[in-house]
Order: sequence, then structure tokens, then C-alpha cells
Amino acid sequence: MIKKFQNLNITWGTALRYIAGIIVVIYLLWRILQTTSIQGSYGPDTWMRFLITGLVIGGIYSLIAIGYTLVYGILFMINFAHGEVMMLGTFAGYFVLEAFAAISAPGSGNQNMSLLNTYPVAALVITFFVGASVSALIGYLLEKIAYRPLRGAQRLIPLISAIGASIFLQNAAQLLFGPQRRQYTNPDILWRGTGWMIPVGDKSVMLTYTGTFSFILSMLLMAGLLILVKKTRLGKSMRAVAENKQAAALMGIDVDAVISKTFIISGFLAGAAGVMWGIHNGLFNHYVGFIPGIKAFTAAVLGGVGNIPGAMVGGMLLGLLESLGPAILGIDFQLKDVIAFTILILVLIFRPSGLLGETLKEDKV
Amino acid sequence: MITSIKDGLRTGLTTAIIFTFLILIGFTSVAANIIGDVLGNPEALNDESQLPVENLLILIGLAGFITGLVTIRKGSSPPWIDVLLRGLTGGILAGLIVGIVIYIVGSFHMEGVDFRAYLPNLGTAQLGYLLFYSTPLAASTTYLLYFTVFSLVGALVRKTLTMLTGLSTQLKNLKSRVSNWSDTKVFKSFASNQLFQAGLIILVGVGLYFLPLVWGSYWNYIMGTVAIYILLGLGLNIIVGFSGQLVLGYVAFFATGAYTFALLTAPEPHAVGLNLWVAVGLSTLVSILTGLLLGLPILRLRGDYLAIVTLGFGEIVRILIRSDLLTPLTNGPKGVTNVGQPIWRGHIFTDINYMHLLMLLVLAGLFIAKRLKDSRTGRAWIAIREDQTVAQATGVDTYKYKILALLLGAAFAGLSGALFASRNQFTGPEDFTLMVSVNVLCIVIIGGMGSLPGIVLGAFVLKGLPELLRELADYRLLAFGALLVVMMIVRPEGLWPGQNNKKGKMAAFTNSLGEDNLEERA
Repeated sequence: MIKKFQNLNITWGTALRYIAGIIVVIYLLWRILQTTSIQGSYGPDTWMRFLITGLVIGGIYSLIAIGYTLVYGILFMINFAHGEVMMLGTFAGYFVLEAFAAISAPGSGNQNMSLLNTYPVAALVITFFVGASVSALIGYLLEKIAYRPLRGAQRLIPLISAIGASIFLQNAAQLLFGPQRRQYTNPDILWRGTGWMIPVGDKSVMLTYTGTFSFILSMLLMAGLLILVKKTRLGKSMRAVAENKQAAALMGIDVDAVISKTFIISGFLAGAAGVMWGIHNGLFNHYVGFIPGIKAFTAAVLGGVGNIPGAMVGGMLLGLLESLGPAILGIDFQLKDVIAFTILILVLIFRPSGLLGETLKEDKV
Repeated sequence: MITSIKDGLRTGLTTAIIFTFLILIGFTSVAANIIGDVLGNPEALNDESQLPVENLLILIGLAGFITGLVTIRKGSSPPWIDVLLRGLTGGILAGLIVGIVIYIVGSFHMEGVDFRAYLPNLGTAQLGYLLFYSTPLAASTTYLLYFTVFSLVGALVRKTLTMLTGLSTQLKNLKSRVSNWSDTKVFKSFASNQLFQAGLIILVGVGLYFLPLVWGSYWNYIMGTVAIYILLGLGLNIIVGFSGQLVLGYVAFFATGAYTFALLTAPEPHAVGLNLWVAVGLSTLVSILTGLLLGLPILRLRGDYLAIVTLGFGEIVRILIRSDLLTPLTNGPKGVTNVGQPIWRGHIFTDINYMHLLMLLVLAGLFIAKRLKDSRTGRAWIAIREDQTVAQATGVDTYKYKILALLLGAAFAGLSGALFASRNQFTGPEDFTLMVSVNVLCIVIIGGMGSLPGIVLGAFVLKGLPELLRELADYRLLAFGALLVVMMIVRPEGLWPGQNNKKGKMAAFTNSLGEDNLEERA
């Protein structure tokens, strides 16, 4: 028995980790028991509301997390400026919607009818396309200017460059568009705060149109990405480059072009997520990308960084944990960011490969 | 020929994008004002509302000139016809794009469109200035003309200079002479003379003692901030520069130091009223404990994971400080006021006393860091930084040394946090945002990772200069971000690299890691 333990080769560090882990789990169980059985302060309708919020935010996190995962899978670097790429998408979408709202529809005869409400579907499609394309362009330029010259440098160097790019983009947006908070102008059919009422128990919960729309769109985009990665030639070359750059180059794959396209795809998804964020939440300013960016990174780590389905699952899970967590644990909603960061730290300590991730080789971690 | 045109067009496009961006962020007016100040032009024309146009013209000319200079590649000397082509195409394209932008914006402006709701820097005053208070067509033609002419001049000047003097080789000689001056015999015999050394130290010491007395409280405040950031930089340098662990949540230790000191000495919310010097010691200790708490579980992680985890930790500390949960302990978002002030010879510390104390601590910190670097511990850290696996293989207990580095760094942060709180007489959660961590990291990296003089230089450049250039305060963070990217591309070893990084060692090392070089080595 004793010999078996010795063979396990437990160092002080791992022992401490496991003791800390057990304490954390016991504490969490105790809190959950306390809030669910004894207090019971939340009715089923409240839980339903938390669930809906979690799913919508989770979809947005997933889209951003995919961007981190795609880039990490290929370059083994954290694209720290990814949240800022999303922020610029939010701004671009805002300007398009403002333009649609400002132009009155021709031929409708009614001066108050703007183009936005005459052709809401077209307006939304264009908004999403422009927002996502702007982010894709920013992602492309970011890679070309800030990361490509550093290819093959020490691991810290591109990360510092990414931090610099993040600061630059955030402040550029502030200086260009001003520091004030802005509000999205949604078309009437997608007005914030409207939705279907779902009866839950003796009360009813609103399923907002914006939330449903965001959730469905994020699912569609993720399905599209999976098809792209699994079925197309580009996806095949992306997977090849992620596996081994040199071998891929020898097989005639233009590695630089594939990396550029990866940044374009991840920027496109982040931009779409940014517009969704604006349409669903309304208020935004130049800080809008920062916290979702870090959260989405957490989600990517949670699912296993470098793993696309992992990023999707991680994003959803993080969104749910964040909206349900404070209620389950019975703590203040102010502390929901703390939950996300704590999850990040716990995952990295106990399961650095994430939920779905393979155990990465030493040179990749 | 065709490559010349391509090069010219590319440079012109880049200039046009950068210049348009500068117009949109309102930098052009600020820069024009600075040019006016430098040249001593009158502040405003007879009419108060109009700024002198010639400053803006000089700025545009300068932009065109630089375009022309960079159209000629470094080290190349193309024939005259190519030089003309490069300068011309670059200038025309840049002028054309900027001119078109100005024309479009100007025409809309003339029709009464208000851009300010979306682009706050295109207000009436700024647009009028950008249009030279004339019509859009005239203004855009002026832009085109100035860009073209000065770009041509720039290209020709560059060509003439390289032709006439072989400037680039001379520059290189000068550079190597400057960088080698510390190796010359005269300097060495001087520097090793003990009398000279003692004299220098006394001179500097006296100078440092009298400076705060002379230069007034404004300068004491700025230099005090610089000194606090030097201390922070020294601490983070132990973690990032020596042992190579990228920690982005350094502010957490700064915050715990400041809050421990403030809560132990302020009358509200706890009224502990502890002796100040004990409180300083305790806040350092609490920061060290925080470092231990964070370091034990996570220091096994490498590089980018560590960066994100510590970033998360820094944010957790800030959110917790301002949360309702801890408000009874920390006073929440309001912060702690009336933080204790040290007493010296019967009177409360003045700004001069603080400055003296900070100077002493900076000198002590430099001394400690220097001794640590040269010790066995320091060599272990550098081994870990250069290659962790190799360090482990040669018998370095990497985990232990990494934790030691984190604890020492945390101690520096705790001490400077206590001083920061005491000097400001206030501490609140918004003093400890992520930007503090980023600032300190910039100091360490821009100064030169692992280099002590580099940190002093970095702190002066990043915290001192912006205070002097008040007009440019809005653009400070933008410049930081751009500087980080540019530094990583152009000079990753920093402005004043340490001995271990000198002479391209770092570059050779980083190249050896790159996958592309694998075949060459094999």
C-alpha cells in the first residue's frame, strides 16, 4: 500500500493542488445545497430567465472563443487583441444601422419611415456582413502588421506585440469615435425588450427577439464554420498547417496564406459576435471588447484551446455558469466576472488541456 | 522601373492611411500647434477663432518629406530617374487620397452635415482649420501639391545624401563608436580610478539631495510617480526580466500593498492606527503572501497561460475590492481616505521628504536587484528564462526559483503600494486597473528585459515624458500600444539592453527557437 503511494510520485505541489481542489469542491457543494434547498429565494421563472441569458451570452462567447482557438491551433499564440477586433465590428455595425435609420425610405410616401424599418431583413443582413467584414479586415491587417514579422520569435514576443495591438486598437477607437457610450438603433421588428412570453409556473418569462435571433445566428455561423473546417479544401489545409507547418509547406500548402485566412475567419466570427452584442445589449463603447475577449479566452481554455468544438462547448458552458453561477452560489451578481476568472484559474490548474482537449505536448503548451 | 512605381505607391498608400487616421483622431491640429510653438509663430491670427495655417502646411510638408525619404529603401541607391519616380508616385498617391478625403468631408461640411456625433474630431473648428478656411477644392489641391512637392524633395535629399557622403556608412561608424565608448581605454582607466568613483558618487548623492529642495512640488510629484514606477519596474523585472515569467496581474500585489497600508493606518473604516513603519512592513508581507497564494498553484504554467491567469487574478482583486461583499473591509468603490502620513522630526512628511525617501528606496532597490542578478539565484533565473528544460536538466529547481522571483517581485510591489497610498493620502479600486500592470510591463520591456538602467530609462520615458507633454496626454496610450508592437518588431531587446542580451545574443537565441531555422542547424 505504502509502496503504491510512493510510486504515484506525489510532489508537494500536486498534493497542495489536490487538497485545494477538494476544499473548493466541498465548499461549492455546500453553497449549492444551501441556496437550492434552504433559501429557495428564486422561483422557476427566475431560473428560466438566467438560463436564457446564459444561452444567448454563451453563443456570443462561443463565436469569439472560436477565434482564439483557431489562431492558437495554428500559431500557438494568444491573439490578445481579438476582443478589440470584436469591438470594431460592434462599431461598424452601429454605423451601418445608423445610416439605415437616417435615410428615409424612397417611395413609401411616409417621411417617418426609415430605410431600416422598410427593409429590416436586408438592413440586418448588410449590417452583419459589414460588421463582420470590418472585423475580418482588422484581423487580417493585425496579423500582417503585428504578428507576421515576429513569426519564429520567442513565445513572449508575439504576445507582447498582441498586448500592444490591443491597447492601440482600443485607444484608436476611443480617439476616433469618442469615449461616450452609444446605443444601437434596432429595427422595430427586433426591438430590444420585446419578445414572446413563455409561461413558467404561475408567472411568465420573456424570450426576447434579439436573444433568439442572436442565439440562432451564432448556431448557424458555428455550423458553417464546422462545415468549412471539415469539408472544404481550405479547412483541410488549415488542419494540416495546425498539425505541422513544415510538412504542410512541403505538401504545397501556402502556409502564410492559410494563416491570413485563419485570421480573416476568426475576425469575421468575432465581428458577427460584436454586432450581436450590440443588437442584444444595446449600449457599448470602446471597452466593449475587453471583458468578452478575456471571457471568450476563458471559454476556449475551458473547452480545450486549439479545439473548435471545445470552444463552442466552452463558450456555452461559460455563459451558463456566469448567469446561473451567482444564483446557485448565492453570491452577488457583481461578482460574475470573478466566477469566470476563477473558472479559468481552476481549469488551468487542474485540467490545462480543457474539457475536450487532448493533452498537449510540452512544446505546444 | 515598375518596382520603383510599386514601392512609391505602397509608401504613398501607407502615408495616406496614417495621415487620414491622424486627422480623424484630431492629432493634426495638436501637432500643428506644437510646430507653431516650436517655431514661435503667433498663437492665433487677427481673428481669434482662426489658427495660423502655415503650421498645418509645415506639418503636411513634413509628412510629404518623410514619405519621400522612406520611398528609397534602406541601403539602396537607385538611379536618379527611379528616385524621381518613387518620390513622385508616393507623394501623388498620398496627396490624392488625403485630398479626396478632405474634399468629401469638406463638401459635406459646407452643406451643413455635422460629423461630431460620430467622429468627434471633425468639429467645425477643426474642419475649418483642415480646409485652411477656404473651399474644399482649393484645400484638397493644396494637400496634393504639398505632398507631391515635398515627397519629391524628400526622395532627392535622401539620394543626394547617400551619394555625397556615403552617409549610411558614416552613421554606422558613429553608432559603433558611440556604443563602444564605454570600452575605450581612457574611459576604463577613469572608471576604475577609485577616487574618481567616490567623487562621482558624492556628486550624484549631493545632487539628488538638493534637487527636490530646488525644483518645487510639481516636479516632486512627477518625479515621485516616476520613482514609484521605477520600484514597480524593478520588482516586475525580477519576475519577467530575470526569470522570464510573463505576469500580467502585477497590479494585484501593488493593490494589496496599498490597501493593507491604508486600512492599517487610516481612521476609516477600521481605525487600527498602527505604527506606520510596522504597517509598511506588514503591507510588504501581505503582498508576499498574496504572491505565494497565487504562485504555488500556477507557476507550473508557461508563457501565455501564465499571462492570462495572472491577468484574471489582477482583475479579481480589483473587482473584489470594490464589491459589496468586501465593502465592510475595504470601503468599496469609495476607497480609503486619510491614509497615514509618516512623521519626521515632529512634522508630517512633505513632498521633499517623500522624494528623498523614494530616492533612497530606488537606490536600495537598484542595489538589491543588481546583487540578486549577479548572485547564484540570478544566474538560475536567467537560465530558466533562456531555456527552462535545459535549466532543469542542469539541476536548477525551476519551481522554487520561479516562486522566489514572484515573491521578491511582490515584495517590491507591496512596498511601492504602501508608499503610493501614503503619498496620495488616498487609495481606491480604480487606482489598480489593468493599465497599471501594462504600464509597468511596458517599462520593463521598452527599457530592456533584465536590464536595470533600462528600467530607470523606461520609467522616465513612459511616466515622466507624458507628464511633460501635457498636450499629447490623450495620445499617450495609443503611442504605448504602437510602441510595444514596433519595439517587438524592430528592437525586442529594449532601448537599453542588459549585458546578457547585448550584441544580438537575444536575437540569436530567439532565432534558434524558430522552426524555420531547424534545417539550417541540422
